Amino acid sequence: MADERITDIGPPHYEQFLPEVIKKNYGKWDYHEILKPGVMVHVAESGDKLFTVRAASPRLLAITTIRKFCDIADTYCGGHLRWTSRNNVEFLLTDEKKIEPLIKELADYGFPVGGLGAKLSNIVHTQGWVHCHSSASDASGVVKAVMDELFPYFTGEKDLPAKTRIAYACCLNMCGAVHCSDIAILGVHTRAPVINHAELPKMCEIPTLVASCPTGAIRPATVDGKQSVEIVEEQCMYCGNCYTVCPACTINNAKTDGISVWVGGKVSNSRVPPKFSKLAIPYLPNNPPRWPEVVEAVVKIVETYAAHARKNERLGEWIDRIGWPKFFELIDQPFTKYHIDDFKHAGETFMRTAQLRH
Amino acid sequence: MTETKRKTPLIDELEKGPWPSFVKEMKKEAHKPITRDAISQLERSYEEHISHWKHGGLVGVMGYGGGVIGRYSDLAAEFPGVAEFHTFRVNQPSAWFYTSDALRTLCDIWDKHGSGITNMHGSTGDIVFLGGTTEAIEPIFADLTANGWDLGGSGSNMRTPSCCVGPARCEWACYDTLNACYNITQSFQDELHRPFFPYKYKFKFAGCPNDCVASIARSDCSVIGTWKDDIQVNNAKVKDYEKQGLDLNADVCDRCPTRCMSWDGKTLAIDNSNCVKCMHCINMMPKALKPGKERGATILIGSKAPIVGGALLSSVFVPFLEMDPESEYSDLKELTEAIWELWGEHGKSRERVGEFIQRVGLSNFLEEIGLEPVPEMVMHPRTNPYIFFDDEIFEKAE
Amino acid sequence: MAEVTIQQLADAMYDLVKSTHGKKNLKPMDVTKAMIDQFGEDSVDKALCKKALRELIDTGRCIYKYAGGSFVTLPEN
Repeated sequence: MADERITDIGPPHYEQFLPEVIKKNYGKWDYHEILKPGVMVHVAESGDKLFTVRAASPRLLAITTIRKFCDIADTYCGGHLRWTSRNNVEFLLTDEKKIEPLIKELADYGFPVGGLGAKLSNIVHTQGWVHCHSSASDASGVVKAVMDELFPYFTGEKDLPAKTRIAYACCLNMCGAVHCSDIAILGVHTRAPVINHAELPKMCEIPTLVASCPTGAIRPATVDGKQSVEIVEEQCMYCGNCYTVCPACTINNAKTDGISVWVGGKVSNSRVPPKFSKLAIPYLPNNPPRWPEVVEAVVKIVETYAAHARKNERLGEWIDRIGWPKFFELIDQPFTKYHIDDFKHAGETFMRTAQLRH
Repeated sequence: MTETKRKTPLIDELEKGPWPSFVKEMKKEAHKPITRDAISQLERSYEEHISHWKHGGLVGVMGYGGGVIGRYSDLAAEFPGVAEFHTFRVNQPSAWFYTSDALRTLCDIWDKHGSGITNMHGSTGDIVFLGGTTEAIEPIFADLTANGWDLGGSGSNMRTPSCCVGPARCEWACYDTLNACYNITQSFQDELHRPFFPYKYKFKFAGCPNDCVASIARSDCSVIGTWKDDIQVNNAKVKDYEKQGLDLNADVCDRCPTRCMSWDGKTLAIDNSNCVKCMHCINMMPKALKPGKERGATILIGSKAPIVGGALLSSVFVPFLEMDPESEYSDLKELTEAIWELWGEHGKSRERVGEFIQRVGLSNFLEEIGLEPVPEMVMHPRTNPYIFFDDEIFEKAE
Repeated sequence: MAEVTIQQLADAMYDLVKSTHGKKNLKPMDVTKAMIDQFGEDSVDKALCKKALRELIDTGRCIYKYAGGSFVTLPEN
């Protein structure tokens, strides 16, 4: 071996990437203010100011774009930029006069600013057909189609009662952990996996596969003289866990895969504790390239929320105040048998009071 | 080796509209055959409504069990460029701060070896390079490490920890999230790169209960900043907010979850003993209110997405832990190692620690790792009478 | 008490992985528990097993694979 192999060095230390104004005022920030959509200032105890310009991003970025961001950061920010937990890119400045030229250059390059405060932020999402094997639908495409329509809520042209967080996951694995979002858009499989009995014995270990099913729907079986498994279809809830463990259990289905919509979750602790998102629409068709049914349903929910909720009321808090019957009525969606939980602890969600709105 | 450029009318539709287009992004790198084929295959998925990627496989860098996720096309004959199209997770710096120089280095490495397509960032927080061949794995790793970068986690190991912007740019940070994230990541490099657990284990560091990194929903160990003493109040500045139109009663006091505050036009009176640190009043008036000075974190354990046993939020393990960087977070590490020891030994394959705790019972789990039960751990005590009694209860009764 | 070296332990691990190849997926912890059973807990512990496992993987005799979880297996071919 010519060179010593380098391993286990971990990430570079963050300090080398911090702008001087941050190094100087680290942990000594006094307050912040949103100056206009997508622009905020943090003021330090020392009086120093740090301006942040937040721009949208599709998460999937070409290195060509990242290099352009670098050039922009060199021009306006002394080479300093960061990303947020929702895949927005933020440019960090100390010269207030450079804010408008920066915004213009970003806009000219196709990257609008916004998403701060009581606005719609970027949609966190998964890989979809761009790069995932178990996706029930594309991710980037649905996100693009939805955000094109909800764009004024990001840029601040339209107001929202409180911050609004939409997330998208292309299957129940939820790499995007969408389960605590104001609106969660979730790709769903709706049919039991199809077993490739010829490949299964070569690819998969049967006891592991059987154990992988949370409802015990998979049983060992001999098919055409070969060891394989059979699926009790009535017991399958299409989670796809078997497919993750065994590629010979194909869960993807071009005809029946679809998209569901969930509402009312949050992760912050402000006012009410974090909440899971709850099912609003069990199934919408998988209709690329613009998923009109999904876009229409999500836009309807956002507009209804914007029109009815009180100031500082997250979507889930609004629904808690008006009740689920009213919510379904307002968003013009039916309540069906699919909305009633039948998994573990389902009884915890049954209404056990006579406190109803008539 | 796809000679002619295929037409992609379906995904071209997604180049239109005001939101930044991922299709445009992919096409910016379409001069690379690997990326051109990825674009063509995506169009096929849009035509057929199905993914054309296959499962993982045996790919990785020598010695590591994570960081590279195998991805193969099921249309390799038609799109040879994407026959192998693996993912590389590169461990991001704390809070995703970069200099343009550092980013250019990463871009150059990825330009040289792969598709030129990235995610900034992946769901767990890593820089994600999307699409490289098996042959490219070792050269990419060599170039990354030579420039001070390392791979992140995948598989049954500690996943790449991530953190919010913290004290670098936020007045609410109750501990140094960047330092804690870096320290934990560096201290557990072996656990990050070499799977030894039943399944994944994630850390997320949030500086305050606003939880901008969604730690309570997305990490096995959620470290959420909080404080013990009184909210710092500047009444003159509260008054300024009122003058600017904020309705102190309707928008602040009435929205407090424990109704622990009142405003008489001059003084914001807070019953701090009843404050649950929800952040609402502080969020409403950043200039006037601040978290207290005695700061630390609440440690919550066990959140996860639905697969397999249903989604969970993390639950309280340690109501308040000091997070002094000088301590090197020894208490957090001790707790973590105790959890890993127990869950590592007895967890089933693909069983997250939150599910394991539900299976064995929180009380049993606490007893095994040596934590005393405290009422902060539950919403309320049990309502069913099916109690498993130990003999010690008789001794105590005497 | 017989001293077990990392090399001996790695060899025993390799034999185990080889003997179960294609029949059972072994997690790193399964391999570790099997070694503790085989050599006795007075002779080997988890820390030693981790070192042996690293030896096994670093030399390329075994590799990690992902199939819904991480397992120790033989390299292809």
